[in-house]
Amino acid sequence: MMFARLSIAVSALTIAAVTSAPAETVTLTAYSGIFQEHYTKAVIEPFMKKYPDITVQFYGMPNSAQMLGTLRAQKSSPQIDVAILDVSVAKAGTDEGLFDKVDESVSPNVKDLYPNAHAEGVAGVGVTFDNLVIIYNTDQVKAAPTSWDALWDKQYEGKVIIQAAPDIQGTTFTIISNKLAGGGDYKTDVSAGIAKIGELAPGVQTWDPKPDVYAPIANGQAALGIGWNARAQIYSQTSGGKLGVALPKEGSGFQINTINLVKNAPAGDAAKKFIDYALSPEAQAAFTSEMFYAPTNSKTVIAQDALKRTAADDMDKMIDIDWLAVAKVRDGITEQWRRRIIPLSR
Amino acid sequence: MTTATFDMPVGAQKSFGTAGVAVALLLPIALVNAIGFILPVLNLARMSFNEALPGGGIAEALTAANWTGLLHDSFYIELITNSIVVSLGITLATLLVSYPIALYLHRASGAWRTFLTVLVISPLLTSAVVRTYGWIALLAEQGPVANVIASMGFQPPRMMFNTTGVVIGLTEILMPYMILSLMAGFGRLDPKVEEAARTLGATPFRTFWRVILPLTLPGIALGCLLCFVLAISSFITPKLMGGGRVFLLATEIYDQAIVTLNWPLAATLSMLVLIIFGAALAVYSRILRMIEG
Repeated sequence: MMFARLSIAVSALTIAAVTSAPAETVTLTAYSGIFQEHYTKAVIEPFMKKYPDITVQFYGMPNSAQMLGTLRAQKSSPQIDVAILDVSVAKAGTDEGLFDKVDESVSPNVKDLYPNAHAEGVAGVGVTFDNLVIIYNTDQVKAAPTSWDALWDKQYEGKVIIQAAPDIQGTTFTIISNKLAGGGDYKTDVSAGIAKIGELAPGVQTWDPKPDVYAPIANGQAALGIGWNARAQIYSQTSGGKLGVALPKEGSGFQINTINLVKNAPAGDAAKKFIDYALSPEAQAAFTSEMFYAPTNSKTVIAQDALKRTAADDMDKMIDIDWLAVAKVRDGITEQWRRRIIPLSR
Repeated sequence: MTTATFDMPVGAQKSFGTAGVAVALLLPIALVNAIGFILPVLNLARMSFNEALPGGGIAEALTAANWTGLLHDSFYIELITNSIVVSLGITLATLLVSYPIALYLHRASGAWRTFLTVLVISPLLTSAVVRTYGWIALLAEQGPVANVIASMGFQPPRMMFNTTGVVIGLTEILMPYMILSLMAGFGRLDPKVEEAARTLGATPFRTFWRVILPLTLPGIALGCLLCFVLAISSFITPKLMGGGRVFLLATEIYDQAIVTLNWPLAATLSMLVLIIFGAALAVYSRILRMIEG
């Protein structure tokens, strides 16, 4: 009996060894939480179905900085093959020689990407676009806000939450406010925007909402705030409509996630195959329908209802934020927040 | 309680040199410390002399710019003094609310004492994150505390997302540490001494001021050292309850390391916290010598 079982097991193993080529594993790092959940469903699972001999392992981390820290620590013997992280962090990683260039030799899809998906001096290319939106509690804010001015509305005083700079939500909001206040080029001077946010400061409940901006709005602790469109759309669904999302008429600014190939990636060609797939119209469309990040591949065809929930229709109103230029002035922006905005709210 | 005697067998005493045994026993922990603490700290010290590039890059360098920048920047000077003042305030508040509890516990006996001690220690079984969220619920704008204050006819002050919230939260979270340190230091407090003071005609206040308090000073010093060090290095509670308005060393280190990716500055601030720890220890041992001497 025992012997019979054992021999079955052995023969099963032998068959397995003969029929499948040695399976390759691609280790991907990107955001944990809902990003991981939806990216796995929309991109990774279909990829593994298409290439059964490649397994993709998702190593989730809460933010880009942590991914960069991990990649730095592994520089001499990388364990991660592909990293999806914010463009400005990708620039720092590129400067430190952590990534190989993603070009048409890696993926033919690169030539179809929107111009914004390419950033000078960044080895990777854009894989998702997201944009800042107003998020609101639908019980407390009856009509969907149409303008950023809603945040300055006195009736919501003490009920506004904003993630302050140095977080890029705060940085993006500074650039938008600078435009609203009629300020000049954000790369040289954002003082008009800073002064405008200063007017809002006394009514801000918290500059550091926890666990994120979406939960306090959904549960009614706060009425209004700013957040990223893709996540807000998902939380709008999961909160049963308690959280509302509005793209103001003045437009917004983009956040770009790039996909990067780690230098000396252990998975080699399999990693390139994954990047190619992630940039394909097929994967881009699937992820947009799943999580409402706007696609970076211009050939992507998306169903109307999903497209309506991205900023794709309002491209002309978007502020073209040059994140690499912003990286240079970001410390200055953070400093102004700390000296000229947050003290006004104490 | 029976006194257990623990004598080494005579043969064993002879075969090991005392020094050899001491070295052998200390070696593992010394190694763990060297790898797990000294090396990383040296690494951190080295990092604090590197140069931060805009956008989060790090350039290998040997510059004191991070250190001098810190001392010339009014924001950081305020941040450092604010951290020290807030931590001292929290330490004092913790001492004031913990002292009566510790004294009562010290005087209690039997099962009642055991029960109370377990009650005091039990919050340590829950993570600080959970307890902080508890305080967030209690101190929220329409929370129970605000409602009680409002029902008494007062305008409830803002107790959340500011320094008040951080002080309240941390005081409660640090209380078990303070109570335990105080109790450990109360060993010299013999009830007979108090009784003697009272029979000799001292008022209760005078007994407390001249007899009880001086005898419990070592416990107070220990508790204060521990709470100050824990308060100045605490991160979760200020992060969750500070609302981005309360700038303290620990939260700033997090922001610099994780958000702005300025590791050299984060390392410099971390070294500064270590220096403050060292200073606190030095003050503690001086106070202890003054008390004992």
